[in-house]
Amino acid sequence: MSEPLFNFDQVEVRFGGLRALRGFSMEVEQGTIHALIGPNGAGKSTAFNCASRFYRPTSGDVKFQGRSLRRVKPAAIAKLGIARTFQNVELFGRMSVLENVLVGMSPRIGGYLPFVPGARRMRIEREARRDAEALLDEFGLTDFRDTAAEELDFGRQKMLDVARALACKPKLLLLDEPAAGLRNREIAALDALLVDLARNRGMTIVLVEHVMQLVMSIADRITVLNFGAKIAEGTADEIKVHPEVIAAYLGTGHA
Amino acid sequence: MNAIDRRWWLGGVGLIVLAAGLYLGAPIYVLYVANLLMTYAVLAIGLDILLGRAGQFAFAHIAFYGIGIYTTALITNNTGLPVFVGIAAGGLLAGLVGVIIAIPATRLRDVYLALSTFAFAEAAQWVFNNWDSVTKGPNGLRISPAKLFGHTITDDRQAFFLVLSITLAVIAATVLMNRSKLGRAMSAIGQSEHVAMASGIGVQRVKVTAFAISAVYAGIAGGMFTLYQSFIHPDSLGFDLIVLILTMVVVGGLGTLPGVILGVLLLGLMPEVLRNLREWQELIYGLILILAILFMPRGIWGLITERRQAWQARRVAARPSPVQDET
Repeated sequence: MSEPLFNFDQVEVRFGGLRALRGFSMEVEQGTIHALIGPNGAGKSTAFNCASRFYRPTSGDVKFQGRSLRRVKPAAIAKLGIARTFQNVELFGRMSVLENVLVGMSPRIGGYLPFVPGARRMRIEREARRDAEALLDEFGLTDFRDTAAEELDFGRQKMLDVARALACKPKLLLLDEPAAGLRNREIAALDALLVDLARNRGMTIVLVEHVMQLVMSIADRITVLNFGAKIAEGTADEIKVHPEVIAAYLGTGHA
Repeated sequence: MNAIDRRWWLGGVGLIVLAAGLYLGAPIYVLYVANLLMTYAVLAIGLDILLGRAGQFAFAHIAFYGIGIYTTALITNNTGLPVFVGIAAGGLLAGLVGVIIAIPATRLRDVYLALSTFAFAEAAQWVFNNWDSVTKGPNGLRISPAKLFGHTITDDRQAFFLVLSITLAVIAATVLMNRSKLGRAMSAIGQSEHVAMASGIGVQRVKVTAFAISAVYAGIAGGMFTLYQSFIHPDSLGFDLIVLILTMVVVGGLGTLPGVILGVLLLGLMPEVLRNLREWQELIYGLILILAILFMPRGIWGLITERRQAWQARRVAARPSPVQDET
């Protein structure tokens, strides 16, 4: 078996007495859509925050392309090729839609100085703007290019969040509840978009999601967390009938 | 050319006409006020970089202004160097001290950052007051007329063009910065540090850079001060000045360059209008600051852009959501 693109290896995260993740392991294959599900407080966001290096695991390791992320700075994660979105949509609200995407492109644009641009910097900036506009076009946001992100409706904000994450051309996309709060129509569009990214463009996607309609239709593989520990892993069909999963979601009385 | 570019062009042409008119026709006192307002503008734009853009509530600004004033004044007093050397030295020294302060200070948040930077400003004022051999302490320091390529700048009219050129250069640099990766990174940090971090922005490094640039601006403003003032006393580098600059930035609109300039003009001209109420001035500024925070947290410019965006939103509201077409 080939080495996974991204994996959690016996990751343990403790906050004081709370064990948010208990020896959690998960392997994500290149080009697949991998869903991470579980009840609230199961440790899904904690897992993402370890991958973003907002947290460092108490023990164990998160690896990307076989490389440990323990000593990687949070700001260097995007440069390695890992991008993410956030639960409840977090954008740079007062910046324009285009600027939000340009911030996502930061890893491509070299250093912060000089801000009085030379010819080379201006070319890079021009290319970045062109690519950003292409991305906006793809996400149906061209008409809102100069609109402040906070002025967008919720569905478009979610789309912009994904566009911002994709702007750095990541190899791995971590989506934290991308479908939450979306209408059915919008979920169907998101479904099509994610499938296209994975099947036609080789993107590897890990998504935390409560909307089972989306998870069951697009996930190649599903990992189920409960109280910080993995209780099941498999395809959608396997997970649907897994007794422990049913118990975790419905309460033990129904198992 | 998009609408934003056109606005800048129109503003620029208007400014040149105004400047030429002032230079040729205005009485010397008006030019003094103009010089003072431009100095405030550079101070306010610098404060806004840190406060309005990067969202860092730091108040060491007046200390850097003082460093700029004393550095430029001492170079002018003791050497025959052209004044630009002194101004550059003041800006650089302020920036250097800014970096040294920023490295620990930017690890603090909110009220702790505000308090520690405020304490630094107080300490700096104490140094200006007590380092007699250099600053002449509480006696104040005479500033010799600035020299530039053999000319000596003796009045506000002669200083006007220099002050104006520096102000315009600062504004141009700010516009370029706001549109660059650095400017976007600063805004991003001001609005969400962790999303900025996940987008690959080195939060700590950008904060220190913002702090340093803000300090350089204040240092340059200090240098500008020496072009038309002949005396500096440490008492004029205190709390009331930071309140004034802060009020200008907040009333005009945090994080917006046109707003900040508007705020400087409005509040800077107020003492000229309310001349008879001089003893009430502090109270009036304080009240304006509180009222602005309560009723227009995004300043006058915020109100203007809200109107504009509401208008734009109505224009595109009729269009269908992009995802509806795909189902």
